[in-house]
Amino acid sequence: MEAIAPIKEVSDLIRDAGGDAFKLCFQCGLCTVSCPWNCVRSFSPHQMISQAKFGLADIEDEAWWLCSTCNMCVSRCPRGVSITDIMRSVRAIIMEYQYNMAQPSLRSAMGSLRGNGNPWLEDREKRPAWKQDLQLEDFHQDMDLLYFPCCVPAYDPKLKSVARASAAILQAAGVRFGILGSKENCCGESVRKAGNDELFESLVKSNISAFEAEGVREVIVSSPHCYTTFKEDYPGFGAQIKVFHMTQYLADLIDRGRLKFRKELRKKVVYHDPCYLGRHNGIYDEPRKILGSIPGLEVMDEIDSRENSLCCGGGGGRIWMETKKGERFSDMLVDQAISLGADILVTACPYCLLNFMDSVVTADKGDILEVKDISEIVQSAL
Amino acid sequence: MLNSDTLNQASVPTMRKVGAVLVAGAGVSGIQAALDVANSGFKVYLVDKEPAIGGRMSQLDKTFPTNDCSMCILSPKFIECATNPNISVLTETEIDRIDGEAGTFEVTLTHKPRYVDPEKCTGCGTCSEYCPVQVLDPYNENLGTVKVIHLPFPQAVPAVSTIDPSHCLFLSRQACQICVPVCRNKAIDFHHQQEKSKIEVGSVILSTGYEAFAPGRQAQYRYGAFRNIVTSLEFERLLSASGPNRGVLRRPSDGKRPQKIAWIQCVGSRDTTAGHNYCSAVCCMYAIKQVILSKEQLPGLDAVILHNDIRAYGKGFERYYERARNTPGVRFIWSKASILRENAENGEVTIRHRVDGFGIKDEAFDLVVLSVGLTSPDSNRQLADRLHVETNSHGFCKTGTFSPVETSRPGVYVCGAFRAPMDIPDSVTMASGAASFASELLSDQRGTLVTETSYPPERNVGGEPPRVGVFVCDCGTNIVKVVDVANVVTYARELSGVVHAQEETFSCSIDSITRMVATIKEKGLNRVVVAACTPRTHEPVFQDALRQAGMNPHLIELTNIREHCSWVHTGERQAATAKARDLVRMAVSKARLLDPLQRLSYAVTGAALVIGGGISGMVSALALARQGIRVHLVEKEEWLGGLGRRIRSSIEGGNVRAYVQKLIREVYANLLIMVYTESDLIEVSGYVGNFSSRIRAGKRGAVKTISHGVTIVATGAEELKPEAYLFGKDRRVATLLELEEEMEDHPDNLRDCSTFVMIQCVGSRDTERPYCSRICCTHAIKNALTLKKINPYMEIYILYRDMRTYGFREDYYREAAEKGVIFIRYDADDKPDVEAVEENGRSFLRVTVTEPVLGRRLMMNADRLALGVATVPSAGNSSLSQLLKAPLNEDSFFMEAHMKLRPVDFPTDGFFMAGLAHSPKFVDESIAQARAAASRAMTILAKKEIMAGGTICSVDGKKCTGCGVCQEICAFNAIEVDAMAGVAIVQKALCKGCGLCVASCRSGALDILGFSEEQTLGMIEAIMEGAH
Repeated sequence: MEAIAPIKEVSDLIRDAGGDAFKLCFQCGLCTVSCPWNCVRSFSPHQMISQAKFGLADIEDEAWWLCSTCNMCVSRCPRGVSITDIMRSVRAIIMEYQYNMAQPSLRSAMGSLRGNGNPWLEDREKRPAWKQDLQLEDFHQDMDLLYFPCCVPAYDPKLKSVARASAAILQAAGVRFGILGSKENCCGESVRKAGNDELFESLVKSNISAFEAEGVREVIVSSPHCYTTFKEDYPGFGAQIKVFHMTQYLADLIDRGRLKFRKELRKKVVYHDPCYLGRHNGIYDEPRKILGSIPGLEVMDEIDSRENSLCCGGGGGRIWMETKKGERFSDMLVDQAISLGADILVTACPYCLLNFMDSVVTADKGDILEVKDISEIVQSAL
Repeated sequence: MLNSDTLNQASVPTMRKVGAVLVAGAGVSGIQAALDVANSGFKVYLVDKEPAIGGRMSQLDKTFPTNDCSMCILSPKFIECATNPNISVLTETEIDRIDGEAGTFEVTLTHKPRYVDPEKCTGCGTCSEYCPVQVLDPYNENLGTVKVIHLPFPQAVPAVSTIDPSHCLFLSRQACQICVPVCRNKAIDFHHQQEKSKIEVGSVILSTGYEAFAPGRQAQYRYGAFRNIVTSLEFERLLSASGPNRGVLRRPSDGKRPQKIAWIQCVGSRDTTAGHNYCSAVCCMYAIKQVILSKEQLPGLDAVILHNDIRAYGKGFERYYERARNTPGVRFIWSKASILRENAENGEVTIRHRVDGFGIKDEAFDLVVLSVGLTSPDSNRQLADRLHVETNSHGFCKTGTFSPVETSRPGVYVCGAFRAPMDIPDSVTMASGAASFASELLSDQRGTLVTETSYPPERNVGGEPPRVGVFVCDCGTNIVKVVDVANVVTYARELSGVVHAQEETFSCSIDSITRMVATIKEKGLNRVVVAACTPRTHEPVFQDALRQAGMNPHLIELTNIREHCSWVHTGERQAATAKARDLVRMAVSKARLLDPLQRLSYAVTGAALVIGGGISGMVSALALARQGIRVHLVEKEEWLGGLGRRIRSSIEGGNVRAYVQKLIREVYANLLIMVYTESDLIEVSGYVGNFSSRIRAGKRGAVKTISHGVTIVATGAEELKPEAYLFGKDRRVATLLELEEEMEDHPDNLRDCSTFVMIQCVGSRDTERPYCSRICCTHAIKNALTLKKINPYMEIYILYRDMRTYGFREDYYREAAEKGVIFIRYDADDKPDVEAVEENGRSFLRVTVTEPVLGRRLMMNADRLALGVATVPSAGNSSLSQLLKAPLNEDSFFMEAHMKLRPVDFPTDGFFMAGLAHSPKFVDESIAQARAAASRAMTILAKKEIMAGGTICSVDGKKCTGCGVCQEICAFNAIEVDAMAGVAIVQKALCKGCGLCVASCRSGALDILGFSEEQTLGMIEAIMEGAH
């Protein structure tokens, strides 16, 4: 076997892009055996870390695009290696040197985000159209709270109901809130994880200036991805906002007696822990508390739940990329929900919802299993 | 005894010190500390919050690397504690606070209500039989059940029942109390209240131990969710003969005997997400042990150990690991594992692991064992806070390189797993080390608080016809429910020589003993037979009764009609009774022939010989001299300091060079230490307490004769000079120790070095030296961290086989990685290559190695190369071994009396070892062991005289031919053929009475007193009489 010398220039590049964590890895392999990809194909993060460490990363390898940043590996890593940062850093380098290595669908989403603030080349002005007949005001300073639905609930025809349900619940609870309307931009979380730091920064800055212009101090979001980036990345750009995920806010409203359920829902539901709500932020109990307080509802966990929850496959920019049939985690989750005898698969993340709905349609199980956001369940019980 | 350390005493000028020591925590380390301190002339309070002493070790099945039964080697120590008049065992007791200063502490204790009077309870178990409530058994890790009132475990000391108050019907809801009337000794009293007490002690030793990591804290382990996932401690109980399955390995879900077991290592260890970055230091070895034991039970077992590094760093560990690795059906796999799912029907657990560095495999197992780490429980931190003792960032007791058993509070010492995660031999060593400090601190109060029982003078029974008294025990119901005891008593009365026979409910209870003493006097008995339980625990109790009655203690014969009869013949009343009669008849027959055995006393020479003047030898010498002992310190080199002279610092930052200089100054300043440099030992004679040695001293080689009571061997070890990797051929290749010297003395040499490679396991863990040198991994990391200080941009590669930075050293491993040091694992079958290369005008060392995860050969162009070479035994070990008649192990290090529980003692009494002479170890460990050697030595030197005799060997000079077979076979060097007389002479002070020599003697010249041929034949005849 011919010996090869480590290429320090490459490992330095990855280090400088934020992937410095490779140096801590002691190669126990737990990331790889924990990674959901190994349920459907072979994928070896531990090897990729070693490649990064020795500067031997092959940037033409599609593996660098697979990680859905579900955080299973990071949450278990005994050395505390931020593996997703290594993936992100290598992607950032690929973005810089080999932009065309990114999947076309991702490139298209990024192009649209740059121009329109949404990934689907949709008209910026149509962003608030989801509200339909709801009486919602644009945010102004006298309001307590900004509701930030972000792109999927704002534009996706299947998921506008999520935004509407969220707004309706807040209204029912007497919360004084508003929306940014067409001034809202994508939070940018997915493109950051896809390695496009430049685009991410421009989206962040647009959102922060909108927050500042309107005097936004507290934000409520439907997506755990918005939640995570608002909490972790935005402060680095000067944002001074407090962010709540809808489930946190609703659980609090229930605690304070401001949300009363009048209807009984005689349904069996399976709750799916979204990665960015659960593993990334430790929010496990609030969704269960909300569902548990709805009369008549029978609530079950997924086969692997809470810390061990299986990713839907939509994080890390994967939502904008094509996943081959047979390799979609959401298919497995939908099958499991059906095997558990659920009427509804409930979750609290728009990406999960998109993937689950897709899986239900492709498996032709629409008559057996509904897919709903937790806000929709709550709304129907009010 | 005079004390040289006047400064030490001057620090407590006003109050007189107290010659008593509190030992907190009665696990194996606490027990060892208590025994050492008590045997050095101090009063000991041995305190534990549990109802019985023994700690975690009492729960273990067997111990690595000898597979000794844990309880079998530990329980004799229980008995020693229980019978030592200077040890007060205080169970169910906790320490509230300690006031005062070193030498004069006042300790406030809380005694939990026990509800059972330990003075009255005999541990018979009748209460448990009647108790209606079953609870989970904590001794069996909740895998089995016990009654609410129960003995903690069969061998418990004190053998007193304990009550689980939360489940007791009376204590929780004022119902029941059935146990109160059934106790024939009226020992149960529900009026007990929590009580406080105060005691005065001069010193405190903390040995409060560890708690196993609770894997439920990490969801990934599915512990509690999947039925066939157990912790390693639970697995110990599944293996143990006293466990829930009586030692038959079965899995929890359905009792099936597992065919496939996986062990997952590092659960709660080396894991920052678990909050514990440190290595628990014992799990690799106990997992290997569990594999070996499981394979013994289930030879077809498929055993898989999923590990990160295998840390077999201790003495004899690597061989044990190799033994497991070479067992068919055992796979060691370098991978952490992910637990995927449980098969609802067959209970199998599927886990996913890596294979060969990069592949992935899913495998189903019947049982998964989580090798849980050792944690310092909150109770340790709280205790430390209450006692104003500092803890480290991991919650263990804070200690230093040069003060390995001293806490931040003067007079308070620490040992065992509260100091750091450690195995049993290290715990025992540290315990003796801590005892040495307490002993030194209170040296001027030695003997002031110890009690010596006085007995009436021994009545001479010579010439009297045998008058045998027989006492047959019911053992509560243990014996009487199977054996017709009344019948046995009636039968015994009729036996020849018997003048008295009676039944006792509990022969061992205090009132029974009092009765026995009175009966002996009243009836003029001159021989006693007790038919009860095992002599192992109870012989000392009854021998004491004889002494109280003015009889020689050897005029008793015990026969075991419990373990050997009632317990094994339940439901066979007639046959059991007949057997009990046989056993009593045999005992009476022997008792008639018993002779009083005399014990002799020898004066002890209050001086020590320490061989080797390195760190260990000097520490031992100083520890003894400060307790008034004259020490002869013999060093073969011109200078004191040994290998320690070359070490610059410890990884914790301790300045070893300054420490060694300080030791040398102290040694020379101490008037009780005679230093002989450039000197050799040429002859040793004598026995424990009374040695006479000759040394060739100084340049001129004058021969001196020294008298001493003990000998400490601290001859150190050497650094291997390897013939590999261009060592000795290229000046850029050095050993780690050479590098350490260069970094300290000439750092500029290294400033321009851009790439540095270190290769580990050079000469260790190979066929020639199949042992791990323990220190090299940490040494490489220490050097790498120093190199990074010299030049932060230096690229450093460490090529290793397993990183063995056990305990808190793992923190430095992580730190090195954080600072960019790159670690590459290599396989013993695919070693790195090194060649000197000139290329493009640059000259370097080209190191190539296979990177196991990428499966590619990597190449580093290094400016310098350092080798982690083996620590090899001192060249003089073999000649010294012959001189001392002290055996070496396979690797030519000195062999201890027992690997687990006597790691400092030689098999021959009066010899102790410390430091690298025993095995490779760190400076702090050498200091602790040197202290331990001093402590063990003090248990002899503290005595004015040594008692010998009793049940030992005697030689019939008329029959002995002087063939010398006995001398060859004696493990204790206790018998020697006198060349002049041509007969074997027994050194009474050394003989243990094991009887090996008797069996080996071809002329029948030897006998063990108390087990003579005549007596044994008498018993055989007695049993044959019954057969007719």
